Amino acid sequence: MLVYVLNRILQLIPVVFVLSVLVFGFVHALPGDVIDSLAGDEAAEDPEVRAALEKEFGLDQPIYVQYAVWAGKVLQGDFGKSLVTRRPVSVELLERIPATVYLAVVGIGLSMPIAVPLGTIAAIRRNTPTDYAAQISSLIGISIPEFWFAILCIMLFSLHLGWLPSSGYVSPLDDLGLSLTYLVLPALAIGFRQAAYTTRLTRSSMLDEVHKEYVDTARSLGLPERKIIYKYTLRNALIPTVTISGLQLANLLGGTVVLESIFSWPGIGLTIYQAIQLRDFPVIQAGVLVLGVMVVTINLLVDILYRFLNPRVGLS
Amino acid sequence: MERQLRSVRRHDTAAADVTPWKIRMRRVSAVSREGLEELSKSRTATLGGIMIVFLFVVALLTPVLATHDPIKPDYRDRLAPISSEHYFGTDKFGRDIYSRVLYGGQRTIAISVAAVAFGLAIGIPFGILSGYFGGRVDAVGMRFVDGLLAFPGLLLYLLIVTLSREWKLEGFWNDAILVFALGFAFMPEVARLARGAALVEARKEYVEASHVIGEHRFSVAMRQILPNCVSPLIVNATVRLGYMILIIAALSFLGLGTPPPTPDWGADLNVARDHMEQHPMIAIFPGLAICFSVLAFNLFGDGLRDILDPRTAER
Repeated sequence: MLVYVLNRILQLIPVVFVLSVLVFGFVHALPGDVIDSLAGDEAAEDPEVRAALEKEFGLDQPIYVQYAVWAGKVLQGDFGKSLVTRRPVSVELLERIPATVYLAVVGIGLSMPIAVPLGTIAAIRRNTPTDYAAQISSLIGISIPEFWFAILCIMLFSLHLGWLPSSGYVSPLDDLGLSLTYLVLPALAIGFRQAAYTTRLTRSSMLDEVHKEYVDTARSLGLPERKIIYKYTLRNALIPTVTISGLQLANLLGGTVVLESIFSWPGIGLTIYQAIQLRDFPVIQAGVLVLGVMVVTINLLVDILYRFLNPRVGLS
Repeated sequence: MERQLRSVRRHDTAAADVTPWKIRMRRVSAVSREGLEELSKSRTATLGGIMIVFLFVVALLTPVLATHDPIKPDYRDRLAPISSEHYFGTDKFGRDIYSRVLYGGQRTIAISVAAVAFGLAIGIPFGILSGYFGGRVDAVGMRFVDGLLAFPGLLLYLLIVTLSREWKLEGFWNDAILVFALGFAFMPEVARLARGAALVEARKEYVEASHVIGEHRFSVAMRQILPNCVSPLIVNATVRLGYMILIIAALSFLGLGTPPPTPDWGADLNVARDHMEQHPMIAIFPGLAICFSVLAFNLFGDGLRDILDPRTAER
């Protein structure tokens, strides 16, 4: 197990390397000089300032040296300064991480208690109207764009009924009740799609389990059907469900750009979106890199968890 | 000995290549008839197939079906309700929403099809060769793919589309970059699937047989192995077409896909946000169009999977 974990961690290195090269290349692929993009117009015109900046950014060095210097700084948590606020990018991002994680975790948390029972029932009553209803509604669920669902929710609950605020954020540490009212709609929009996804997943992995031999054995021993399902099959079926939900969490972190911008939710997604609007390249660069590394790390943890829960999966 | 085998093989393929055109066509039609029969047995595939045919027909007939110019504003007729003149009402510039939804659909479908084709075209050779050659080629190739897969959700598109905006690309080139971004982000998934299938196939006897008769390795990979790896790729490409539509809509919704005033479902939904209160209908129709198209591809993909994957079909 330990060898496997170490091996997986070693495999991460090239992945993060590719990720960082692409992100590094992004700023260099911008039109014109990096200085034009990084320093603003006034500075770029003056040749003396330009030379000084070139030296400061190390642009007189060959590109691989520039990459090495940049990567060295990033490893120490130094992503440079925002072009807009002039504050260190790392500080800006650190402030925004909790809101994103808060939203993603609550969204997934909302979906599980709906999706797992629904998927289980659909699998047990396969090819009955209940199953068809669950299948069709989950298929429709994954076909609805989150942002459209969000708009419809705002139209109904904020504008028409006036029950909930249409956008904004209050930290749960400041005022939990108020914070929750702001959280409901965005979490609903995430949870909705997620629930549809998880229902399909639970159903298919339950179906995989129901046909295994140990279920027949249990039946022939005369165990009650209820016990077979809840004690044995569901437990096994949940292993892939939980792991894939973990992977989904990683995906959600990147997908929140749209929802965060609709609900003005101050997470990493909104930060990246605003940085794109304001052409704040260091923030885009760092935001994408940080989210990418978070995703890779979550995938790693999920993989390890999966082997741990299901030791039959080969350690090769 | 080897030379002899080679000449035999050359003779064989030559014989295969001169198969009369009529016989070939008859074979193709037999296979497709069987395929259609198989498809019509699955209710989801049938329904999805009908919806997809409807989508493509509407996209082709858009110039005929549309009642107004989708771009020309008409300020006397702003935010008009549903009427026989404007089937879906008008937006804040007085443009006919019905016509805009039609033209937006044409554009979205063309871009998604092009992007999926591009993703397959680069992903399939990448994956097949990686799985077939194995070893170091495979290790390097797959780490590259993993690196691309580490970009969560929309981020890879955001980077590429931002670059295209900075380069001030317009018209055709803007669309080309969009297709490139969507296809490039699809590539790693295709490569993984193709590689997995190729790994399994590469151990089979027919591959060894091809080696023995001295067929070139590239040719073995692309002509022998590839045709046996298609079915998971077809399912994946179908579902991905639906996903592409969602992503295009999301990017345009963020103001990064299609620049105004070109009709686009996502961009129109974004504009509609400002008038949700007085005029909710403008937020409804483009959204319904997205749902319908994505659902069509998901239904068809689900049905196809049941047919092509015998493991799930048994259930």
